[in-house]
Amino acid sequence: MRRLRAWCVRLWSVFGKDRRDREFAEELESHLQMHCEDAQRTGMTPAEARRQALIKLGGLAPVEEIYRERRGVPWLETLARDLGYAIRMMRRAPGFTATVVVTLGLGIGTTTAIFSVVNAVLLRPLPYPEPHRLVYIAIGFGDRGSAIFAPTTDYAAWKSRSQTLSRIAGYTGFEANLTAATQAERVKAGAATASLFPLLAVQPALGRIFLSDEDRPGGAPTVVLSHAFWKSRFGGDAAISGKSLTLDGTLHTIVGVLPAGFQLPDRYATDYDLWVPLAIGDNGRSRRSILQTVGRLKPGVSIERARAELATLMQPPRRGKKILVVAEWQEQISSGARRSLLIFLSAVGFVLLVACVNVANLLLFRAAAREKEMAVRRALGAGRARILRQLLTESVLLALLGGVVGLGLASAGKNLLVAFIAPNLPAMEPVHLDLRVLAFNLGLALVTGIAFGLAPALEASRGELNEPLKGAGRGATDGRSRHRLRNLLVVGEIAAVVVLLSGAGLLFHSFLRIRGVDPGFQPDRILTLNVALTPSKYPTPREKTAFFQQVVQKVGTLPGVQAASASTSLPLAGYSMSISGLTVEGKPETERLVLVALVSPNYFHTVGIPMVRGRAFGDSDRSGSTVVAMVNETFARTFFPGEDCLGKRIEQWKPKTGWITIVGVVRDIRPAPEEEPLPEMYFSYLQPEAAFLMGSNMYVAVRAAGNPKSLAAAVRSQIAGVDNSQPPFDITTLEERRAKHLAPRRVNMLLIASFAALALAIGLIGIYGVVSCSVRRRTHEIGIRMALGADQGRILSMVLGNGMKLIGTGVVVGLLASSALTRLIASELWGVSTTDPWTFAAVVTLLCATGLAACLLPARGAARVDPTRALRDE
Amino acid sequence: MSETANVWQGTLALMVLKTLETLGPLHGYGIARRIEQTSGDLLSVNYGTLYPALLKLEQEGYIASAWGLSENNRKARFYRLTRAGTKQLRKEEHGWEQATAIMSRFLPAAKETP
Repeated sequence: MRRLRAWCVRLWSVFGKDRRDREFAEELESHLQMHCEDAQRTGMTPAEARRQALIKLGGLAPVEEIYRERRGVPWLETLARDLGYAIRMMRRAPGFTATVVVTLGLGIGTTTAIFSVVNAVLLRPLPYPEPHRLVYIAIGFGDRGSAIFAPTTDYAAWKSRSQTLSRIAGYTGFEANLTAATQAERVKAGAATASLFPLLAVQPALGRIFLSDEDRPGGAPTVVLSHAFWKSRFGGDAAISGKSLTLDGTLHTIVGVLPAGFQLPDRYATDYDLWVPLAIGDNGRSRRSILQTVGRLKPGVSIERARAELATLMQPPRRGKKILVVAEWQEQISSGARRSLLIFLSAVGFVLLVACVNVANLLLFRAAAREKEMAVRRALGAGRARILRQLLTESVLLALLGGVVGLGLASAGKNLLVAFIAPNLPAMEPVHLDLRVLAFNLGLALVTGIAFGLAPALEASRGELNEPLKGAGRGATDGRSRHRLRNLLVVGEIAAVVVLLSGAGLLFHSFLRIRGVDPGFQPDRILTLNVALTPSKYPTPREKTAFFQQVVQKVGTLPGVQAASASTSLPLAGYSMSISGLTVEGKPETERLVLVALVSPNYFHTVGIPMVRGRAFGDSDRSGSTVVAMVNETFARTFFPGEDCLGKRIEQWKPKTGWITIVGVVRDIRPAPEEEPLPEMYFSYLQPEAAFLMGSNMYVAVRAAGNPKSLAAAVRSQIAGVDNSQPPFDITTLEERRAKHLAPRRVNMLLIASFAALALAIGLIGIYGVVSCSVRRRTHEIGIRMALGADQGRILSMVLGNGMKLIGTGVVVGLLASSALTRLIASELWGVSTTDPWTFAAVVTLLCATGLAACLLPARGAARVDPTRALRDE
Repeated sequence: MSETANVWQGTLALMVLKTLETLGPLHGYGIARRIEQTSGDLLSVNYGTLYPALLKLEQEGYIASAWGLSENNRKARFYRLTRAGTKQLRKEEHGWEQATAIMSRFLPAAKETP
């Protein structure tokens, strides 16, 4: 306590030094005088008395020195002096300072901005009590995709018998038709067990959330609204509890409203409008067979122990293998984003590296200009450590200023950045520049300040003492070691730029590949939308088919519509049915996965899928006639290799359909551009034998003569004309679906490309700087060469040659580094190898061309040197 | 070695505090002289070390200082004990008493042996 007080006083004493020095001198003087007076009383002469008093005191200067050291904080004062000096130096060279601060600001700013997202997604714990005890539980079935859901049967077993979890909750998202007095709309709903909100310790803003018995089969139909939905659809009605709404034809009582800003931390970034209880019986029986499952570990229980226990409670699999995954929830949520975020962070690290190298080079130039100053300081007795410290203070101060600029950039740009990379992010709390980000920013500035300052400072503090003082400031050539260091830095800089450009180039190439894939159909001018029929109103396939027949017929006759169709799946829509266990007549049953779609007869015509062989569905393929199917080329190739499949028969659901005859083959369409086509079978929804394949919803596709978007309102009103309680949703064009599908890759590619562009720009400035500086320093030498007969072309090629030598070395080093590092983005590439020669060639060409341009400016200056003047200047 | 001993490390502060308690506010020279006198001139205070010691005590808040006039009408800086200083003095006195009591048991040659 006392010590702290003493330190505060000492810190405070750093100010007002002159006054304090004066006071102490006065105090000592009065001490001496009193001492003298006493001594004179014993008979000493005044001079002798003063001498004695001084001896007894131990000399004025030493006492004052000890006193000063004890009074303030000496190292702080040295630092303050260094800082003051650094600030004077910066003000004397504003152009230099601005260049350095802006370069570093760009580097540190982009890094900080990316880090703030990394912090929000990967580092910041979930905003719930004891977040590390929250685990996500899912079951994967062998090779069929990743583990995302868990069956309700297992959930029920875990809930009743687990000893390692203090709580377990499940939820799942669905869409439902909400009907109000005037119009119907499609809402995003969540179904949650009553335990979900208590698990997250979420309190309602209004009313209550689910009671513990509401998630039993037969529980009261209640609904809890999200805050935003309550505001927008119910005007924030404070007396909302107890009112009701109709969801998929069932009356639900509104019991409460969730707090504002509540968002389930979901990997897929879903915003739920409202929540209903998810009913699961004790035996696991439920309307929804799978759940997203979250549990809270009991205190002291490890994830491994919980996994072992939950695995023993799992139902044995009917066939294949069940793989239980228990992971920290945060990890599960961020797993989709982790990879690309880490790639962004490393890419931006390279940008920062390039910026640092550039600044180091600038400092080297400056060191050359300050050679004389350093020599004077050393001649006056400054040790090497002292000069090093002074120069590092300068560079760290520059870096801190860069850090401040960077922080400004990051705080201004973070929301833009988040909006831009949103397709790659899970649902999360907003990105803040919190303490961790600030600490990161500060640390980054300090580290970069030392990183780019150390080499030039070492170089400067080692400098020759005699030469600069002799006044030969403009020697024939530059110091050799400094020259080498500078070249080394430029080579490193170019190598880093090459690595970034290669990464960006590969992502770009891969993106072009994916975008250039022939989808197998004509996606332009197609409006798509989805209608999900309320089961209670449309219980049987016949009624559903009738509804869509009417819709297709009515929409098809709209002006501006060329064709309209209905289908259970659509390319890029993300939903498809698949079956396995198909039997071809005369062959054994096969386990191959086959996609199945139910379509209206003109589906192929509307979406633009070309016929290859046979015939399309017609109106004659209807009730009572032979059940027919169309297949794609992959199907034909897979199940009928080397033979014609037309007229062949297959069976799958024999009691319902009997033998199915293949009547036509259409071209393959890819489910998504980067996915290979799968065998696919199509059935006509006009054949009731096949219509059981229809779930509750179908996509409607409309081919427009002009802009498909402009048809949306008309199509919507036609559907309302058939039944206005069945609102269409997901209204978008196929092109938009495609863009949305490509968005994550596009974001990756563009972000890395802009980092690469930034690095390239900084790197080119670096090359330009080094070459033009070396030209300036060699003006005299060039003059001599010209006087001895070298023509302009010779000088030009000499300077260019020197520059290109650096660039060439950098490119070679960069390519070597790239071929090792691009492996890290292999999972982000499609159709391009990590060492794609074309991409690398393009990178080399780009770098050499721009690098040559950067060298050309100073080289031309060198070629125009007037030999007589260059020599006379000596 | 001469007859006078140098002040042991750490004891100077205690002497300063005690002197200020006994004599009231005093300037640096007076404190030094008083310490020498009290010790029967057995102790020689290096006047140069006194001032940093005073500064340290002041920084720790045990003493406070102000400019004033000396007995000879000379301008001098006077130091006085603060309340925290008095408390600290009591503490250190107690410590010393204990220490000397213990030492005297080990060194029975002392005059006052019973």
